[in-house]
Amino acid sequence: MSDIQTTLRTRAAELLSSGEVVEVIGWTAGRFDNQTTPAFITKAEDAESLVFNEYCVNTTSKFSLMERGLGKVAVCVRGCDSRGINRMITDNQLKREEVHLIGIPCTGMKDRKTGEELLKCRECSYRNPVVYDELIGESVTEPELNRFDAVEKLEAMDQAERAAFFDSVYERCIRCYACREVCPVCTCKSCFVDQLAAGWQGKRSNVAENKFYGLTRVFHVGDRCVECGECQRACPMDLPLMLLNRKMIKDLDLLFEAGEAGLDAEGTNPLGTYDVNDVEEFM
Amino acid sequence: MLLAKDRLPQLLDHLAAQARVYVPARVGEDTRFALYSSGLEPDFEMVNTSLPPKDLLFPQAQSMYRYGFDDNGTPFIDPVHDSDNTVLFGVRPCDVQSIACMDDVFLTMGYEDEFYAPKREKLLIVALVCNNVAESCFCDSMGLDPNSAPYADIQLRQGSEGFEIVAQTEKGQAALSDWKSFLSDGTATRDNVSCTLKVDMTGIKDKLDEMYEHPIWDRISKKCLTCGTCTYVCPTCHCFDISQENRMKLGERFRSWDSCMFSNYTEMAGHHNPRAGKQPRVRQRFLHKLCFFEDRYGKTLCVGCGRCVEKCPVALDITVLIDQIGAADVAEGAEVLEGAAHGN
Amino acid sequence: MAIEIEHGHVRAKEQLVPIACKVAAVSEETSDVKAFRIQTLDGKKPFEALPGQTAMLSVIPYGECMFCVSSQGEDYVEFTVKKVGYVTERMHFLSVGDSVGLRGPYGNWFPYEDMKGKDILFIGGGIGLAPLRSLLTYVLDHREDYGRVDLVYSGSTKDDLIFLNDIENVWPTYPNTHMHVSVYKGTEGWDGEVCYTAPFLESLGIEPEGRIAVLCGGPSLFRTCLHSLLEKVGFPPGDIITTLEMKMKCGIGKCGRCNIGSKYICLDGPVFSMAELEDMPWGAH
Repeated sequence: MSDIQTTLRTRAAELLSSGEVVEVIGWTAGRFDNQTTPAFITKAEDAESLVFNEYCVNTTSKFSLMERGLGKVAVCVRGCDSRGINRMITDNQLKREEVHLIGIPCTGMKDRKTGEELLKCRECSYRNPVVYDELIGESVTEPELNRFDAVEKLEAMDQAERAAFFDSVYERCIRCYACREVCPVCTCKSCFVDQLAAGWQGKRSNVAENKFYGLTRVFHVGDRCVECGECQRACPMDLPLMLLNRKMIKDLDLLFEAGEAGLDAEGTNPLGTYDVNDVEEFM
Repeated sequence: MLLAKDRLPQLLDHLAAQARVYVPARVGEDTRFALYSSGLEPDFEMVNTSLPPKDLLFPQAQSMYRYGFDDNGTPFIDPVHDSDNTVLFGVRPCDVQSIACMDDVFLTMGYEDEFYAPKREKLLIVALVCNNVAESCFCDSMGLDPNSAPYADIQLRQGSEGFEIVAQTEKGQAALSDWKSFLSDGTATRDNVSCTLKVDMTGIKDKLDEMYEHPIWDRISKKCLTCGTCTYVCPTCHCFDISQENRMKLGERFRSWDSCMFSNYTEMAGHHNPRAGKQPRVRQRFLHKLCFFEDRYGKTLCVGCGRCVEKCPVALDITVLIDQIGAADVAEGAEVLEGAAHGN
Repeated sequence: MAIEIEHGHVRAKEQLVPIACKVAAVSEETSDVKAFRIQTLDGKKPFEALPGQTAMLSVIPYGECMFCVSSQGEDYVEFTVKKVGYVTERMHFLSVGDSVGLRGPYGNWFPYEDMKGKDILFIGGGIGLAPLRSLLTYVLDHREDYGRVDLVYSGSTKDDLIFLNDIENVWPTYPNTHMHVSVYKGTEGWDGEVCYTAPFLESLGIEPEGRIAVLCGGPSLFRTCLHSLLEKVGFPPGDIITTLEMKMKCGIGKCGRCNIGSKYICLDGPVFSMAELEDMPWGAH
C-alpha cells in the first residue's frame, strides 16, 4: 500500500506540473492516527501530502462534480469511486473528458476506531476500478459474496416485524441529509425535500416524515445506486441505509433485470424507462 | 455532601416521581440523554452522548401555535405552550456551557423567547464533571474545565466513595434540601482529568476579525458536503426554521432545527441567496462559533465537546481549522481583494 | 451633528405568535405589486410603527414574510407587497375581509428625529420605494421640520413604478419637494428620463452638504448608487442611510439566518448607516 502511495504522489506531481490536470482529488492525513480526509491538491509540491492507506474511507467521486469548470481534474478511484464516476457520466452530470482517473485497486478500508473492515467494504464486490486512465498497483481478486444476505433477512420478516424495523430505523434519523450530500447519484439541482413550496417534505422530525424522506430517497436512487455504501458510512446515526438500497436493487433486478449500476458509462434507468415488456404485476 | 453509589437509583426514582429525568444512557445502538424510569441504567463512564441534550430546551420540532377558523368563520390563533419539570442529570461540563450559550440567545438581547423560557425555568441542571475524556474532547482549550461545571445548578464529582454534591444556584440549593434523605456527609476523592486534544485559541478571534475575505475559507470548504451533521450534533447550534402543517381547516405552525449549511437557509423569494455557495456557508458557521457570537454575547459558541469532530463525514475538523487559523497569514490574498474591491 | 441610528429595540407585543387580523383594503400598484391595509378583527390599528419598522405578515395557512410598513393611518397599517415567491403569490389572492396573521413591529427605524433640519435625498428602485415611503410620508406630514426633499426613483419600465399617483399628483404639491423619476427601458406613454439610477443620480447635481441620503433597492442599484454617492457626489458614509433585507423567520434575533457578522438585520436593523456597514462584513451580501 505504501508503494501505491509513493507512486500516487509521483504521478500527482507529474500530472500537475505538466499542466495535464489542474487538481488532484485524493486523501491526506487527518488530525488523529489512522484518519484521512479528502484532499484537493493543486500544486505539484503539495502532492507529497497525498496519502493512501487502509483508512481512506471517503469516496472521491462526488467531489469531482464540485470542481467542474476548473479544468481537467484527476480523481483517485477505487471500484466504488469509479462506479460513481461512471454513473455520473450516465446521468449527464459529468463528462468523461473532464476527469483523469487514477485507478487504485483496493483491499478494503478500515474503521479507524475499531480497526475492523468497514461494512461497505465487506459488502463490496468491485474492489478494482471499473474505469481508469492509469492504474496504480496490482489488480486484486474480487471476493465472492452474497451482498443480499441482510436483505433476505428483511424479506423473511412478517409485515408487522418489518414495519417495526423501519420505524426503529427512522425514529433515529436526524435528517441532516448527509446521506444525500455524500451520494454520487444524488445530483438533483433541487432535491424534493428542499422544494418547500411544493410541500413534499415537512420540516417536522418524526418517524413519518423521516421515513418519507428515507424511502423516497431509496426509490429515487435505487436504480442508479452504485453500492459505494458511502451513505451508510456518513450517517451520524449509523442507520442501515444500504440495506434499504439493496432491497431496491434486488427487486429491480428481479423485475427489470436492472443489473448493477455504474459498471460502465452507458447504464440504464429501469425506473425512468418504459418498456412494453415490463412486468406489470399490479395491473 | 455525598451521594453513595447505591443510593443513586433511589434518588433517581425519587426525582422521576416529580419530574422528567434525563440521564446519559445507551439506548439500543445510540447513546443519548434518555428519559429515566426505574431500572434504566445511567452510563456515566461513556464520553459524550451522540446527540446533545439541547432538544430538552429546544426540540428538533416544537409547535408554536394552532390556527384555523371556528364555526362562525372567525379566525383563531392559539399558542401551544408546554413545559414540564425536568431534571438533566449527569450532564457534562461542555453541555452545561452549551446551555449557557442557548440562554444568551433565547433569554437576552431583546426578546425573552416565550417557548424556551418556561422550559428553562423548569429545568434543573445536575452536572457530573468528567470521569474521562474522549480523544476528540477539547473543552479545556475553549476556556472550560472538564473538572467543573460552574453554570450547573448542582455539580457532582464522582469518586470511589460515591458522588460529592455541591449546589451552585438557589435552584440547586432548594433541590438539595429535597434530596437530603439520600445524602450523607463526606467528600469524594477523584483525580482531575484533562483533554488530550489541545488547540491554542490565543489570538484566534482577533485574527478571524481580519479574515472574512481570506482564501482559507475556499480551501477548507472544498471538502464540506454541506450536510447538517455538524449543526445537528452541536450542543450550541440553535438556528431554527418556522414552517407549518395544514389539515383541512386546522393548521399548526412550528419551529424546527435548521442549519446554516443548507442552501435554502438564506435563500430569499426570487432566489437571491447571499450564501449560495458552500464557501460562505462554511465561513458563516465557523465565524459564528469563533467570532460573531463572542462579539454579541461575550462567549465562544464552541464548547469543545468534539461531537462534530467525531461525526463529520469528511473530517472537516474545527480543531484543525483553529490550528490553521493560528498558522495563517492574515494578509494572504489581500492583494487579490484590493483588486476585487476596486473592480466592484 | 452625526446621525444616531438606534439598534436592538424591543417594541413588538407579540414575539412569535401573530394576532389574527383582516385585510381592510387592497390596491393594485402595478401588475405584480399590491398594497394591503391591515387592521385587527375589530377594525383597529394593530400597532404603531415608527418609520422604517417591519412586521411579519402571514397568509395564515401558507407562511409568513417580513415586510416594511410602507404607510399607516388611524386604523390600519399598510404593506406594499411584490409577488416574487410562494407566500407573496398567495398574498396577492387576498381580498378585503380575508384573515391574515400579523406580528410586530420589529427592528429599528429611520433616525427621523436626528434628520430634522436637514435636506433629504431619497433614492429608491422598483419595490425599494416601499420601505422609504414610511419615512417620506412622515417627513411630508412634518414638512416644516425638514429641508429640501428629493426623490430619485427608477423602475424597469413605467409599468413597474409603484406609488405613481403619489409621485405625480400628491408628493410634488408639498413645498420644496422634488420628484426625479427614470426608467431603464422606455415604453410607449413614457416621456421622462430613460436612464439607470446611478448615472441619473449623478446628473442631478446634488450637493452632499447638509443632506442625508436614504437608499433602498436591489443589489445592483444598491452597489452602483452607493458608489455614486460615496465616490462621485461625495457623501460621507455617516450621511448615507439604508434599510437592508435578508431572509427572516423569527424577527426577534434568535433564528440566526439574517445575520451580517454579529448583527441581526431583524433586530439590530434593518436600518443602518453606510458608516456602520463599513464595520460589518457585508461585502458578500
